[in-house]
Amino acid sequence: MIAIQSLKKTYKDTSVVDVAELLIGQNESFGLVGNNGAGKTTLFRMILDLIRATEGQVLINGKNVQGNDEWKSYVGSYLDENFLIPYLTPEEYFKFVGKLHNYSDDDLKNFYQKFEELFHDEILGKNKYIGDLSKGNLKKVGIAAAFIGNPHVVILDEPFENLDPTSQIRLKQLLDRERKARSITYLISSHDLNHVTDLCERIVILEKGKVIKDLKGDNLLAELEEYFKA
Amino acid sequence: MVATLLSHGWKKLSRSVSFSKELTTTILLTLFGLMFLGYSLALGFALDRIITNGLKHEDSFQFLNGLLLYYFVFEFMIRYFLQNLPVLDVQPYLHLPLKRSRIVHYLLVKSLSHGMNILVFILFSPFAFTAIANRFGMASAFSWILTLGLISFCLHYLVLLFKKGLDDTIWGLLTLVGIFSFLGASDYYGWFKLSDLSASLFALTAQGYFLVMIFSLLFLSIYFFSFRFFLNGMYPEEVSFGKSNAWGKNQDLSFLQNFGSLGDWINLEIKLIIRNKRPRTILFLSTFFLLYGLIFYNNDTYTEKMPGFLLFVGIFITGIFMINYGQFLFSWQSGHFDFTLTRPISLRQYIESKYWLLSTVTVICFLLSVPYVYFGWKIILIHAAMTLFNLGINIFVVMNVSMWEPKKIDLKKGATFNYEGVGAAQWLMSIPLLLGPYLFYLPFSLMGYPTAGILAVGGVGLVGILFRTYLLEVTVRRLEQRRYTIAAGFRKD
Repeated sequence: MIAIQSLKKTYKDTSVVDVAELLIGQNESFGLVGNNGAGKTTLFRMILDLIRATEGQVLINGKNVQGNDEWKSYVGSYLDENFLIPYLTPEEYFKFVGKLHNYSDDDLKNFYQKFEELFHDEILGKNKYIGDLSKGNLKKVGIAAAFIGNPHVVILDEPFENLDPTSQIRLKQLLDRERKARSITYLISSHDLNHVTDLCERIVILEKGKVIKDLKGDNLLAELEEYFKA
Repeated sequence: MVATLLSHGWKKLSRSVSFSKELTTTILLTLFGLMFLGYSLALGFALDRIITNGLKHEDSFQFLNGLLLYYFVFEFMIRYFLQNLPVLDVQPYLHLPLKRSRIVHYLLVKSLSHGMNILVFILFSPFAFTAIANRFGMASAFSWILTLGLISFCLHYLVLLFKKGLDDTIWGLLTLVGIFSFLGASDYYGWFKLSDLSASLFALTAQGYFLVMIFSLLFLSIYFFSFRFFLNGMYPEEVSFGKSNAWGKNQDLSFLQNFGSLGDWINLEIKLIIRNKRPRTILFLSTFFLLYGLIFYNNDTYTEKMPGFLLFVGIFITGIFMINYGQFLFSWQSGHFDFTLTRPISLRQYIESKYWLLSTVTVICFLLSVPYVYFGWKIILIHAAMTLFNLGINIFVVMNVSMWEPKKIDLKKGATFNYEGVGAAQWLMSIPLLLGPYLFYLPFSLMGYPTAGILAVGGVGLVGILFRTYLLEVTVRRLEQRRYTIAAGFRKD
């Protein structure tokens, strides 16, 4: 689904991302962990063609993301608040994104139903602009919008950060349920090792922009804890 | 404590990214300021001579006193545009064990260090210590200038109160316009003469210090009123921008939905303009600019002898929104540029939505300017030609130059004296925009065919419109190349 080929990003002389090869298959749930400054967000931004790669390329469905708009219709993403429009209400924002994916009113209704639990009556019908929402609610809006258009790929940066415990658990259930219902590839970065191991079958540790470990199997949490203890 | 706060203020200024980046802007603004003060000083020294020799008024004291209240109305106006509310900077201090009253005092006193507060002294002390001192003695001179200074300080806090109360809303502007029209009308219809009132009021300064006393008391009460007002209004949430929810719920223009995603993006941008102070102010200003022609068109010097000058007027009347809003075309959406890049919309559609928004407003401005036909058909010819030029040429200049290192704009901030987003591009942009038409006009007008020159400018605009597809393509390709740099710039604070 996603193929990263000798991808490099350097600012002046410091290398921020340097990934020789990384293949992420269809329906895979892929977790990315690493300490601050490891290059997780930069890698995600390069996958989304927000940063120009110094070398190498990213292919989604066999096509280079650079200079190509096709992938945008089946890749949903939420990295940070730059993905939100502060002067719209959440409803207006969802409707706007929905229109970009040719959503009908019924589609939108289904979509609201799916996220009703996560929103917890704090998002819809409040007559508040997105710019006035709390950090946690901003995150919920962004994550929800990433699922508009039934994307094949969903990329989320730190989805659990700023969420209250109830919302964290609900989000996890929601992500799981989505992937059981249909084929969907997740790329999720997180500092919360428990959540990320619960959610992902495969976890890559990034350090100084390089892939240090590529883990699969049943013992993910223990292996990660072992690695980060040092 | 005050010293620490002052040093923080200085650090905030000198360490901000924009300080070094926008050095040109800062230097230019400082130069403008110094120039303005220099002229004021020169005017102050010449004041007595201008009134007695130039305007032939025997009693310069009485004449000047008659003008003073007008001056203060005018000063209030300038202050309204130049003065900023000092409130936003205090958030990091509110949770610390500092007395809130002390912070407010600090803010209020610090706000006095504004160029506008020395203007009255620069303008009028030369007159006080020459003309008045010679005639009524030193004591009267002091009494006079102190009175003026105190009124000016009162205005200083009144403007702050006014802005805090009616912050950047349309009511603020309307109130000002209302006051002005009322004063003008009263003079015109003779309800009362502000000049007589002003003359007799300030004549009192020659008879002792009691005006100084009265205005000192007034000043102190306004200060303490402001103090109470700001003390109660220091909660950060009250300066948040979602305040004006009354701006209506559904602001979608439904007919735009027939244009697919293009219409959706235009609707989005309309919401941006209506719901945020700074772009909203630009929209209001554009409507005021429609009246700009009144200054020139009823004056034969311009319409008969300098038709070329009217090209400027034509560009501004039809294109002021395009220029003012378009100079920050990408900066407005800097907060969600990443969003734009990851959604299923091509850069071509994105650019086209902006093209249609700008050109539609330009056409609307032209249509609204049609009543100027009252001043002659030639005015409309000029407006039509300039509209074509704006649509065919200037719009592409605006779109392309605004791509040049655009800076992040925080939509939550107000409009007055806000130079966020201004860079070299914004200074340079005006040159081709304003001089471009003359490239085509001057050859004809020098040969003695000014009307042909105007037609030529319109013709060039028409060619630009015909080649629109190609010019849009060039613009899209440039954005394609610059998108990463622009996006990286917007992510930085």
